Amino acid sequence: MSLDASRGTVPAEIPAPAPAAATPTGWVHRGWRRVVRRPASAAGGVVVLVFVVMAIGAPWIATTDPLHADWSKIRKAPTRANPFGTDDLGRDNFSRVVWGSRISMQAGVFSILLAMAVGVPIGLVAGYYRGALDQLIMRLTDAWLAFPFLILAIGLVTIMGPSLTNATLAIGLGATPTYVRLTRGLTLSAKEEDYVLAARALGAGDLRLMRRHVFPNIFSALLVQATVSIPTAIIAEAILSFLGLGVQPPAPSWGTMLNTAQQFLESAPWMAYWPGLAIFSLALSFNLAGDGLRDLLDPRDY
Amino acid sequence: MFAFLLRRVFISVVTLFLVSIVVFTGVRMIPGDPARVMAGTDADEAGLEEVREKYGLKDPVPVQYLRWVRLALGGDLGESIRTRQSVAWTVATKLPITIQLACFAVLIAVAIAIPAGVLAAVRRNTVWDLLASGASLCGLSVPNFWLGIMLILLFSVRLGWLPASGFVPFWDDPVGNLQRMIMPAFVLGTALAAVLMRQTRNSMIEVLSADYIRTARAKGLAQRAVVFRHAIRNGLIPVVTILGLQTGALMGGAVVTEQIFVVPGFGRLIVEAVFTRDYPLVQGVVLITASAYVLINLAVDVSYTFLNPRIRIRGSGR
Repeated sequence: MSLDASRGTVPAEIPAPAPAAATPTGWVHRGWRRVVRRPASAAGGVVVLVFVVMAIGAPWIATTDPLHADWSKIRKAPTRANPFGTDDLGRDNFSRVVWGSRISMQAGVFSILLAMAVGVPIGLVAGYYRGALDQLIMRLTDAWLAFPFLILAIGLVTIMGPSLTNATLAIGLGATPTYVRLTRGLTLSAKEEDYVLAARALGAGDLRLMRRHVFPNIFSALLVQATVSIPTAIIAEAILSFLGLGVQPPAPSWGTMLNTAQQFLESAPWMAYWPGLAIFSLALSFNLAGDGLRDLLDPRDY
Repeated sequence: MFAFLLRRVFISVVTLFLVSIVVFTGVRMIPGDPARVMAGTDADEAGLEEVREKYGLKDPVPVQYLRWVRLALGGDLGESIRTRQSVAWTVATKLPITIQLACFAVLIAVAIAIPAGVLAAVRRNTVWDLLASGASLCGLSVPNFWLGIMLILLFSVRLGWLPASGFVPFWDDPVGNLQRMIMPAFVLGTALAAVLMRQTRNSMIEVLSADYIRTARAKGLAQRAVVFRHAIRNGLIPVVTILGLQTGALMGGAVVTEQIFVVPGFGRLIVEAVFTRDYPLVQGVVLITASAYVLINLAVDVSYTFLNPRIRIRGSGR
């Protein structure tokens, strides 16, 4: 109707955008306000970053070789030279905790990336096409979910043999069905949105709709799920290594360190403090950051 | 409602079928001769032949599968390579210990989580809420095996109040049994408590904002009556489902907890089986765990339908 005519006049009628919102400082300011409102989540995010720096910068932060055994320093209490003490082979615990962050980060992040790489496309297809394929995928997911996460990981490691790579694979495969379910659910509602229908009306194919229209809109929810499943994966790696099914000695994994520490609780309790505290603080910060991220990306809770 | 139940049972049967396929193929993915895998490395040629005969390892794979399922349904899950005892019997002797541990863990978790969750919901956005949510987050983040080690360090090594490990049957020595069970049960219960508390808080908040609660308040009921007589009944329904869904995590947690506290249950059995490459035992344990999980959740869903009429209408699919 008068669409064309009105289109010409619209720019003049739109009030000038509020200057604070448009300028970069306004954006920074708003972001800052959100951060201040959730100090715990912000602190969590900072600690996660500290661990990332620690994992990347391990060679520069812990200059002592984490594998270097020193028979003259077996199970020594913390000193200035060895702030976290030494272990049963005289290795520096501080160095091992710092290097251990590499293994934990690696296992936590890569396993969840794997779970997403497998689970998200499957969930997209199931939610997008529905029908018999969806039913099949969902029943398979149910069956996969019937195996308790840890039991499944143990079973897979039994088949594949214990190592960091296999533990990461096992944890990733264990976490996959969660992503299939979540993606399917999100896709179901996203594909009914008007913008998807509009894109379809314009002739976009299925693949393009899934990639360019549905996926970007469910991504933030997936990201939030990832931040809360990474700590679970980190703890799972520590558990597998603790049981002897993950990282093999002498590599400095927090789980294997705790396994050794358990044998010397009476004579060298410091061996048990730090690796556990490291797992706890890393997992807690991821969870805190995840909570904050969810509120940030999903304003409904406010 | 009947249709819903039927559908729910049907889905569970399909799930169990798929579970059995996964477990069956899993063992066959282990490299090497399947007869050797199932009979153990030290089995002689006669032993291998016996295993081949029993599971028909020369037959086509689907025939093998059907035979295996038939044996499994009859309770024959093969025999342990290490002890030569039947897998079903081995599991049956270990299971009661883990069930006792799990029941204690659930009791502890519920005793902590429900009051704390209700309190956090009723006193929303107060210090209590913050404390409860913080505790819940810590419970989710603490690796339970480390918590176990720290408890041993405090209560056994430092204070000497509790034995660090071991197990005595309840009927032989009830006090000794409880002394040894309290730490593992607490460790196993923490993660569950954290999850339950979150769920309780969220669903209580939802219920407390419902119209019928406003009506109850409007007619002048005291806060206590509103919360305990009206809100809790509906607020705790989702908590029961979560409890069902968490049985899997509980079984996984039992593996680690039993390892730390040297409790000779189901969880320790599976770790020993993995280390001794006792594949039939691993296979049996995994199959039993997954089936138990499916059946427990079916039971939860079915019992629900009787408790809450709304589910019958809403819960037609997942």
